[in-house]
Amino acid sequence: MKPGPALPILGGVLAALVGLSCADIAAPGRSDVYEWRFITSTGPGTNDTLTFHWPRSMLPLKIWTQDTLDLPAHVAHGIDVWKTAFLYREFDAILVTDSSAADVIVRADSPAKSAAMARLQLSLAPECEGGTDIVPLPGSRTIQYPVRVFLLPRFDAATPGVSECLALTATHELGHALGIFTHSAEATDLMFVDPVVSELSARDRGTIERAYHVPPNVSVPVH
Amino acid sequence: MARGQTDYYARLGVTFATDLVTDNIVQDILTQQSPAPTLAFGVSLPIAPAYLAGLETALSTSGYHSTEAGQDTDLGTLTTGSVLLNLEGPVWHRASWRAGLGVISYLPADQTGIFLSGGTTRFLAGAGFDYRPPLMAHWDLMLSLRYDFHRFSTDELEARGFTGSQGVQRVSLSVGLARARR
Repeated sequence: MKPGPALPILGGVLAALVGLSCADIAAPGRSDVYEWRFITSTGPGTNDTLTFHWPRSMLPLKIWTQDTLDLPAHVAHGIDVWKTAFLYREFDAILVTDSSAADVIVRADSPAKSAAMARLQLSLAPECEGGTDIVPLPGSRTIQYPVRVFLLPRFDAATPGVSECLALTATHELGHALGIFTHSAEATDLMFVDPVVSELSARDRGTIERAYHVPPNVSVPVH
Repeated sequence: MARGQTDYYARLGVTFATDLVTDNIVQDILTQQSPAPTLAFGVSLPIAPAYLAGLETALSTSGYHSTEAGQDTDLGTLTTGSVLLNLEGPVWHRASWRAGLGVISYLPADQTGIFLSGGTTRFLAGAGFDYRPPLMAHWDLMLSLRYDFHRFSTDELEARGFTGSQGVQRVSLSVGLARARR
């Protein structure tokens, strides 16, 4: 073959394409988040702000769930919901059959029966209640481990609305188990103190994303 | 090439790509496909003296990962398939150029993360050079360099508030067999 007249054109087109291809996608600001950290008083006029997320080395997180009230299905759904919040595999979890190997233990029990001194408790839902023991005890820099989640219906399990409440509350409590130490002030967020929505809001996603990219100052105790 | 002769070839190589997504959550996060083994097939027909028009398909599979503060996270397996409608012409002796337009599809193994809402198909523009020394009676060796670019985004990224799209450039090097040009 002999050189063709189209070669200089090809070069020009290539140079133009390279120039056009340089612009980057623009990431969202993710500024609309709520406070997820645990801010505790350490003395007169002094506070301590605690933040935690599960280290990648512990993923997938191992969650044991008591096999009653359809809790395994509710917890599995909650895991799926929270996994969708992340773009870069910051979180993963599996259900395990042996509680001795679990990082998170979910029981059908009243959160009021446990004597934990630092609890993130949900108490306003009419059909069920839930609570999570994870926040470090006073003076500690480690989470309560294994994390314990309590879920219990307020009425007979067959009562309309109870199963939906347990599903919603399981997902909400898993949010605490992931590291959201406080509640949102907006009812449109799943992490509202008395959640009414069953899916994550943009604020829920933005908050958990940020929580998993801020270096934690609370860790998992050696176990 | 003999007048009216259909040209066809198969190549095996590796494709390198620039970042798919540049993000910032507290700090910068880059997502990139790892160097990917690539299999390509092509067929061309003469359309004018010394010029051919053809179709080239390529399939690449490799992992993709995010990088944040120097640490990589494996995000799974990503397959890309592309189809390019090419125009091919001579450079010198056994070297030729080609340029074309087509589409590229991203087919993630798992619908998670940036592909939570599924893969994506984007327009693609590409160009390249081939060198074809004779190898056997009916076959030439084919050494190829390809460059292409497209703009990348996914439904999930758009749903999350990402705007615009990321310019992705790819370069591939490959070797293969082509029907002999005599």
